[in-house]
Amino acid sequence: MAGLGELERAVMDVLWAASEPCTARDVQDALAQRELATTTVLTVLGRLERKGLVSRTRDSRAHRYQAAGTREDHIATLMRDALDGAPDRGAVMVRFLGGMPPEEQAALRDLLR
Amino acid sequence: MLLAEPVSRALAAARWPARDPTGALLLWQAVGLAGGLALLGAGVSFGLAPLGSSLPVAVGQLAEHLRHRDWPAGLGVWQLLALAASLALAARLLGVLGLAAIRTLRARRRHRDLLDVLATPWPAMAGARVLAHPLPVAYCLPGLRSRLVVSEGTLAALSPAELAAVLAHERAHLRERHDLVVLPFVAWGATAPWVPGMARAQLAVATLVEMRADDVARARAGELALAGALRQVGGGAARATLTSFSAAVSGRLDRLDHRPNRPSLAARAASRLAALALVAVPTAALLLP
Repeated sequence: MAGLGELERAVMDVLWAASEPCTARDVQDALAQRELATTTVLTVLGRLERKGLVSRTRDSRAHRYQAAGTREDHIATLMRDALDGAPDRGAVMVRFLGGMPPEEQAALRDLLR
Repeated sequence: MLLAEPVSRALAAARWPARDPTGALLLWQAVGLAGGLALLGAGVSFGLAPLGSSLPVAVGQLAEHLRHRDWPAGLGVWQLLALAASLALAARLLGVLGLAAIRTLRARRRHRDLLDVLATPWPAMAGARVLAHPLPVAYCLPGLRSRLVVSEGTLAALSPAELAAVLAHERAHLRERHDLVVLPFVAWGATAPWVPGMARAQLAVATLVEMRADDVARARAGELALAGALRQVGGGAARATLTSFSAAVSGRLDRLDHRPNRPSLAARAASRLAALALVAVPTAALLLP
């Protein structure tokens, strides 16, 4: 069985490729070859919504899900996070380039804006 | 007092820590712990001195008095002030550490949540993930469910041997829980930046942790691979953003080029014994009559 992370990535790929907000059913159909149960799709969408990667709107008949932000945006956020040199974040991650002077970290972060 | 200023200055300026990062890390931890113990202990012993010659006796006396609901005769205003200040300081130190730990865990969890969706697992390297970004970055997310991350920029810039060195370096951070070593220094450094020894300690500990991970990476992947990786990742980032080469990276390269000799067994034992004594002496002074 595929891991949850792998499933989340697949669902995000569907949402990123979609031109408009999708229902859970749309996602399920797009991933038909995986033969997912509807509840599984809903669980994964719920997890992604909690992580802030998916936003949900409700029209008259169904909940519709949409990717919140592009993949590039989120990756840039992660990279900024990883390079963040703020003192109380110092212990969050240990970087290969740890100990870089603050002004150089700032310059690196500027590249990611 | 001695530990806050002259000792931390001497330890920060000393050259031997580059040869024995583990011993130096232990010593820094001992200095921090002993300094805190001495500071708190001084207030408590002064406050309780009228009740007994040693801390256990005095605390026993105090409890006895309070049980009979009478007020111990020796305790005056100054003693009470000293006790209150010590307790407040202890609460603050522990509170700040707890808060920093919670914040750190929360930030890590959020980062890991996103990472698991956005980074693709790397089949060739168990446990490592790849972020699709051209900047060369390699880092690890410590914790019980740790993650090792490299960017596509890193994969493009490094040879397989250099990559192995980077991963060995990050795995050393994860395995030896360097995040836990650094956390108290970061937390207390952020609340008391005016304490002169604090900023030095924070910087020294961060550097030592990198040295230690470099030593592990060198042992696993070889010196050339590690130096090459440092030049590529550090140099790539520096070229892209900066006119001068990162001072921290060149310092680590220096250390690889002029490979420091490992100190003798006796020297290594001495630093560890000194660390032990630093913690043991104030503790004994408090507890023994």
